[in-house]
Amino acid sequence: MLLFAQIVVNGLLVGGLYGLMALGMGLVWGVLNIVNLMHGALIMLGGYAVYYLYTSAGLDPFAALPLAMLGLFGLGYALQWFVLGQIARSPLLNTLLVTFGLEVVATYLAQLAFSADLRTINPPYAGQHLALGGLVVPLVPAAAFGAALVLAASLWLALGRTRTGRAIRASAQNLGAARLYGVNPRRIFALTFGTGAALAGAAGGLYGLVAQISPYMGNSLTPKSFVIAILGGLDRPLGVLAGGLALGVAEALTGAYLASTYVDAISFGLLVLLLVARTSRLLRPA
Amino acid sequence: MRATVFALGVAILAAGRPAFAAATPITLGAAVQMTGAMANTGRYYRDAYQLAVAQVNALGGVTVGGEKHPLSLKLYDNQSDVNLGVRQYVELLTQDKVNFLLGPFSSDDALDDSSVAEKYRVPMVEGGGASSQIFSRGYSYVFGTLPPADDYFASTIEMLGKLSPPARTVALVSADDAFDVSVAKGTRKLLSAAGLELVVDKQYPEDNAEFASILSLVASKHPDVILWSGHEAQALNFIREMKSLGVSPERMASFTVGVPTADFRQALGPDAEYAFGMTPWLPSAAERDDWFGDGEKFAALYHQKLGYAPDYHAASAVADVETFVKAIEAAGSLDSGKVRDAIAHLDFQSLYGRIHFNPGGQIALAQTVIQIQHGQVVPIYVHDFVHRPLYPVPAWSKRLAHK
Amino acid sequence: MTVRWLATALACAVLAAVPLAARPTLTQYGIEALLLASLAQAWNILGGYAGYPSFGNSAFYGLGTYGTAVAMARFHQQFGVGLACGAALGMACACAVGVPILRLRGPYFAIVTLGLSAMLAAIVRNVAIAGRNIGLILPIFRSDTLFYELALGLLAAATAAVALTARSRFGAGLVAIRENEEAAAVMGVATTRFKVMALALAAVITALAGGIHAYWITFVDPASAFDSSLNVKMVIMAVFGGPGTVVGPVVGALLLSGVSEWLASAISSMASLFYGLVIVLAVLFMPKGLWDAGRGLRQRGLRYFGENLRRYRL
Repeated sequence: MLLFAQIVVNGLLVGGLYGLMALGMGLVWGVLNIVNLMHGALIMLGGYAVYYLYTSAGLDPFAALPLAMLGLFGLGYALQWFVLGQIARSPLLNTLLVTFGLEVVATYLAQLAFSADLRTINPPYAGQHLALGGLVVPLVPAAAFGAALVLAASLWLALGRTRTGRAIRASAQNLGAARLYGVNPRRIFALTFGTGAALAGAAGGLYGLVAQISPYMGNSLTPKSFVIAILGGLDRPLGVLAGGLALGVAEALTGAYLASTYVDAISFGLLVLLLVARTSRLLRPA
Repeated sequence: MRATVFALGVAILAAGRPAFAAATPITLGAAVQMTGAMANTGRYYRDAYQLAVAQVNALGGVTVGGEKHPLSLKLYDNQSDVNLGVRQYVELLTQDKVNFLLGPFSSDDALDDSSVAEKYRVPMVEGGGASSQIFSRGYSYVFGTLPPADDYFASTIEMLGKLSPPARTVALVSADDAFDVSVAKGTRKLLSAAGLELVVDKQYPEDNAEFASILSLVASKHPDVILWSGHEAQALNFIREMKSLGVSPERMASFTVGVPTADFRQALGPDAEYAFGMTPWLPSAAERDDWFGDGEKFAALYHQKLGYAPDYHAASAVADVETFVKAIEAAGSLDSGKVRDAIAHLDFQSLYGRIHFNPGGQIALAQTVIQIQHGQVVPIYVHDFVHRPLYPVPAWSKRLAHK
Repeated sequence: MTVRWLATALACAVLAAVPLAARPTLTQYGIEALLLASLAQAWNILGGYAGYPSFGNSAFYGLGTYGTAVAMARFHQQFGVGLACGAALGMACACAVGVPILRLRGPYFAIVTLGLSAMLAAIVRNVAIAGRNIGLILPIFRSDTLFYELALGLLAAATAAVALTARSRFGAGLVAIRENEEAAAVMGVATTRFKVMALALAAVITALAGGIHAYWITFVDPASAFDSSLNVKMVIMAVFGGPGTVVGPVVGALLLSGVSEWLASAISSMASLFYGLVIVLAVLFMPKGLWDAGRGLRQRGLRYFGENLRRYRL
């Protein structure tokens, strides 16, 4: 029983990070209709940003997180403004292709700049854990989990309560009408993409604390973000977070009681089943 | 940094040229991981091949039929993509028309690339693939200088039998790629022969290495020993998660990769302490070599020219180049069949150890058990104890108190 | 009309003669390029004509690969039998999942196919007869010419299939589905049946390509059989060349793989950088594909590019 509880705790901790990873992708997809294949690269860049802030400037990784997010926000804003905005109205597939191309470029440049060596963000307090009853709760993953929750909640509040958030949601539903109310599409879209990138960057920084960073880490994280974003309903932050938690627990249980080699089969199998089961509710404009 | 290294490499190569103005060079070709996920280890092969070729040329090249020929190297970057590597090997043979082939890093790559060598009937000596699958296909043109994966834990298990307090239960965690499956298979046999009980036997997918579940399971069984087999990146992950989940084996933990490599220890810092590992090679003055003097001199030269210390990957790569030189000179010709036969009958001493291939094409070298003590790699056991191990390894909670 | 058939026949004859005349590396490149072109063409049927962009055709590629590999390595069958098994497996999968997944549209369809491919790969990793994650080794066959001609034959067959489709009611139905599926259904087009047929056809071609590749490479494992980068490649090539046309994907595939191969050998280390840049620039300036760009350049010259930017920007 204790083992089961421990496994669930492990799964939740990882799941929080998963949810954060997918928040940005879901937001961008739901609002801008952009399937961002470079999402993993943005996570990776965030990871490196926090890494270098920690190792060169001595900033605590959690303190470095907002800075990294800011940097990624700027990058995302610029990408949307100068590149993705150019093809916003061309066939949908083209955003897939452009983001793919950007991902290849970003990964290559990262490899050139940072080398393929693996990096870990290893602050002195890493590796400690709290013992709650018989459960072991590792400190850093727990803090990362907390950060993920905070960011997800913030996004939810921002989208629901602030003017900009409402403008974003309005643009997602009906751009024409939103424009009539004074929304500047270019700015709002760039803002949205920037936010998505910032969230990805935060996930990357936390990822570096919990696992490790390499220029290619994005390759496996992008498909996983897809799964979670869809599970959660794209631009519904709390749903995406829940999706991440669910996936984390499902993977942990599979790994412990079946075999870790089935984990991907379960997560993608879930994806396929869920998508097929929800067809009746997914009548979004294509 | 990379640019400097590359420039150094070119300079080394260029420096080795003058002696043979007229003779046609003998070209060795390979596609190695210079970029991509495996570039970390792939670069050892690139650098070692270049250094070895330069050194051979500096000392007179290869003598065939009374004439001296320089060695030359044609390297491609397979970008850690197995499919690209295969195409590049075909290109090496059909377009670049290299004489012989050297190998890539990693069993998965070696498995595929060696098929090309066999298909075109050109000898390949590879020092990056240890999986028994490579050598159980009945191929005759492929030779390997990494000892069989199945036996990786042999020295470790033998050592365990001689240590006190004794170890009785083992947890085995391995990845599901060619190399690690071979390791796991062999290890299970070794464990049952040694009378050790396997209480956890878990496989994890090599591209989705999440250890929390496995570690929690391991913790619940309280094994004496944890034996781990996978790739370097995941070893790092595993150790960190061991620490953060507070999972400590009662006696010790050993890893097939990572421990001998400098940047692995650097990435882990003090957490690398006490970890056991293995290597088929340590720089030693006892291993004499016709081109580098001995193992120690080689390590010093390597470190000086390239800025980082070599590990067994580099030594294995150098051994591959030396194997070809010896074989070509023994065969007295560049004919593929004759050189292949010469390789099969070779038996010589090198900085890497004794080079001699079994009928399947693989070398037989014992793994030396090593342990990280005070930040240094210390050889502990090969057939007998070399140094005293720090055993049993203290639990994480006790280690933190030290800091 | 007859001129076009003659021209096509001539092109085929020339291409078929390549292995006999050219360097072996050209044959190598040719096999790779022709297989990719077949994949792009297969994608074109469902993605270009019917408007259902699949991001998981690698599922069928993998099934074809494994069908062939298991038949040959485990059951010691001939290559022909192996190929047939692979194709049958691909078709079976398409028919089995076709109806449910084709209810999804646009990016959701793309993602479900991606998920399907990943799921199949993950399942195969655990199947003992398929060799789990290590994979299978096939017997060596030393003749690149055979594989080249097979790949060329497959491309010819795929293109012929597309050409016939384009002229048939089936094809018209697919285009109707792409333009307005609801209206098409109302007009009496058997949308579900046509979509599944398109998927099955694409699956068979893709599976055959996988089978040929497997025997050529001699070695299969889940990662390379269900290679997800293939998905992006075939989409890019079809879209770049001109989706919904007969020749577009072929041109796109041959051109892009030529560029990629040249880059890999000429500037080996920077290859991926340029590849990525080429894709980004191509999509930015030629969002409707090469075929359309060809026409646009002829009609409006360089202004075509500027117009694209202005028309499609936010």
